[in-house]
Amino acid sequence: MSRITLDPITRIEGHLRIDVEANGGKVTNAWSSAQMWRGIEVILKGRAPEDAWSFVQRFCGVCTTVHAISSIRAVEHALDVEVPLNAQYIRNIMIAQHSVQDHIVHFYHLSALDWVDIVSALKADPKKTAQIAQSISDWPGNSEKEFKAVQDKLKAFVAGGKLGIFATGYWGHPAMKLSPEVNLMAVAHYLKALDYQRKASQATAILGGKNPHIQNLVVGGVATAINTENIATLNMERLIYLRTLMEETRDFVQKVYYPDLLAIAGAYKDWFKYGAGVTNYMAVPEFPEDTKNTKFMLPGGVVMGGNIGGIRMVKDHRDDYLIKNIKENVTHAWYEGNGTLHPWDGETKPDYTDFKENGKYSWCKAPTLDGKPVQVGPPAQIMAAYAAGNPKVKKLVDGAVSTLGISLKDIHSTMGRLFCRGARAHVMADLSLDNLDKLIANIASGDQTYANHTVIPKGEYRGVGFHEAPRGTLSHWIVIKNKKIENYQAVVPSTWNAAPRNDKGELGPYEASLVGNPIADASKPLEVLRTIHSFDPCIACAVHTVDPEGAEITKVKVL
Amino acid sequence: MQVLIYGAGNLILSDEGFGVHFVRHLEQHYQIPDNVELYDGGTLGIMVHFKFEEADKVILVDVVQAKGEPGDIFRYEREDIMLKNIPVKMSPHQIGLQEMLLISEMRDAPKPDLTFFGIVAKSLDPGDQLTPPLQAGLEKVAALVVEELAKVGVELKRKSD
Repeated sequence: MSRITLDPITRIEGHLRIDVEANGGKVTNAWSSAQMWRGIEVILKGRAPEDAWSFVQRFCGVCTTVHAISSIRAVEHALDVEVPLNAQYIRNIMIAQHSVQDHIVHFYHLSALDWVDIVSALKADPKKTAQIAQSISDWPGNSEKEFKAVQDKLKAFVAGGKLGIFATGYWGHPAMKLSPEVNLMAVAHYLKALDYQRKASQATAILGGKNPHIQNLVVGGVATAINTENIATLNMERLIYLRTLMEETRDFVQKVYYPDLLAIAGAYKDWFKYGAGVTNYMAVPEFPEDTKNTKFMLPGGVVMGGNIGGIRMVKDHRDDYLIKNIKENVTHAWYEGNGTLHPWDGETKPDYTDFKENGKYSWCKAPTLDGKPVQVGPPAQIMAAYAAGNPKVKKLVDGAVSTLGISLKDIHSTMGRLFCRGARAHVMADLSLDNLDKLIANIASGDQTYANHTVIPKGEYRGVGFHEAPRGTLSHWIVIKNKKIENYQAVVPSTWNAAPRNDKGELGPYEASLVGNPIADASKPLEVLRTIHSFDPCIACAVHTVDPEGAEITKVKVL
Repeated sequence: MQVLIYGAGNLILSDEGFGVHFVRHLEQHYQIPDNVELYDGGTLGIMVHFKFEEADKVILVDVVQAKGEPGDIFRYEREDIMLKNIPVKMSPHQIGLQEMLLISEMRDAPKPDLTFFGIVAKSLDPGDQLTPPLQAGLEKVAALVVEELAKVGVELKRKSD
């Protein structure tokens, strides 16, 4: 038996340590440990509720907008404030474009290199690469010349000893299966993707003010002024530019990212059989279409035990079942006691003990729905939309199932998660434009309201802000007392997924997804990375101190 | 001459947020000419890599894990950052500053002159305030940045407060 510790498993998104036990080429046990204390909630106590949203944007290194949205919704829910249609559409566009950016970066920059062998791309024939790329997409950037230029560049880097990121990793690992041509195509798109994620971030900034932290939210709406006539405000010209940017990112997602994803998935079909883990899922509905948050463009739902047919739809953000049954347990987390508390009563009292695999071993609490561990993320939202008969999602899923020769239940897997994220990006790209159309039509109809001015009243109020974020269901829970924050808890998607064991000893989604995972070479646990990265891990609060000593940042210890 | 001053950091982990506190400090106490952009990059890393391609001169301010006392300031140039011995990693996705700069090179993006001022942190505990040695570091780094920009003919003047 070998024991493998991977620490940290990601850098830009903070600290995650994964321990696995491997026997006979398979993972037999796993532990997921968040290595940073996220005592952010403590900072918020006593502050003004209407300011929380700008603080919580700093929760995390990658997902800023999502926390702002959840926080503002929590206050609006607590005080029963309606949000004008214009504000809903503007928020929806920001949410959708943020997702587009997030998914592009995840696919190309944070997970593709688990599947793509950059060094193999040096051997590719650029002409054949162009033929392959053109056979799966009519995107104009796939010429032989483009691929040759990327390959020449790559060769120059290798010759100059400047391999940097490309010198490490698992090139030549036996689990790498793509042809040199597909590898070259993916590397070229990896570089291109940076331009498009930037466009998505520019789109968000047009509406949100300064990028990367939006500035345009207020309790009861948005502070974005749109005046189609006035040059100084957000005018028609800016909106046309916004549309252009969003059309460009849509084309990249639908004609580059999605076809690349299907090509990679087709070459790694066995990965539809690994990595299911916890098959209880939850998604909340998203993209509100009315002022009261009762009608949504995408549905939510709860699937238990992988039974998509038996889905319980979540109608809106006031769903009693979710509000009552989301709790967090600290039996295996570095907080005092072993209790299970509702987020409104949640505590954040640290109790660090060192890594004790049978005791406390993570800074993540274990969230549960109705006492059970739950996986959140794109698969949950795609399943809910599929079950509700959303025509676009149905077409994408059925198309992929038949193209790849898989069945619907194969979605419960490592590759299934990657597929669902790509399908979600596809949907988000269209929804961005749909919401812009609706916004413009609504302004044209004479609606000039962007916010319902709200003053925080005296007294005690409780609220929850749900948001279906790129990594899954996010909820911020607030207790307001006499105009101040009395308690604040954020139950973030990565907490659901990276959860340690709960009070019954049930494994969290990361942990469970690793059990049964193949592992060809214990000193190069590429397969473990594949499964963990498929969740798009984002353990809040990236500590990104630059280390000029060049000290070894990652330990792979095989015990 | 377009200048970008990029403050990186996590604002809610006390000293981790130094870079962000720093750009706010400049905004508050200095007259910022039109050709100088102050940018609060938070902890977005690769999501905002393009900022490093958008100016003639980039000054990055962040905390640094170097041998020294809290508040000690280190200065690095692009070549220092592009370490020849990039640490061995088990995954190519731990994208840090070096990798971002390298990817920019691969894309034939512009390569602005880059100076990095790193300060040694004292505390990374949750909190939105700097510890005293880092609070004192704000004005020290500001003086270094003023000097740095004077060399290229850009003047940052203190506001008469």
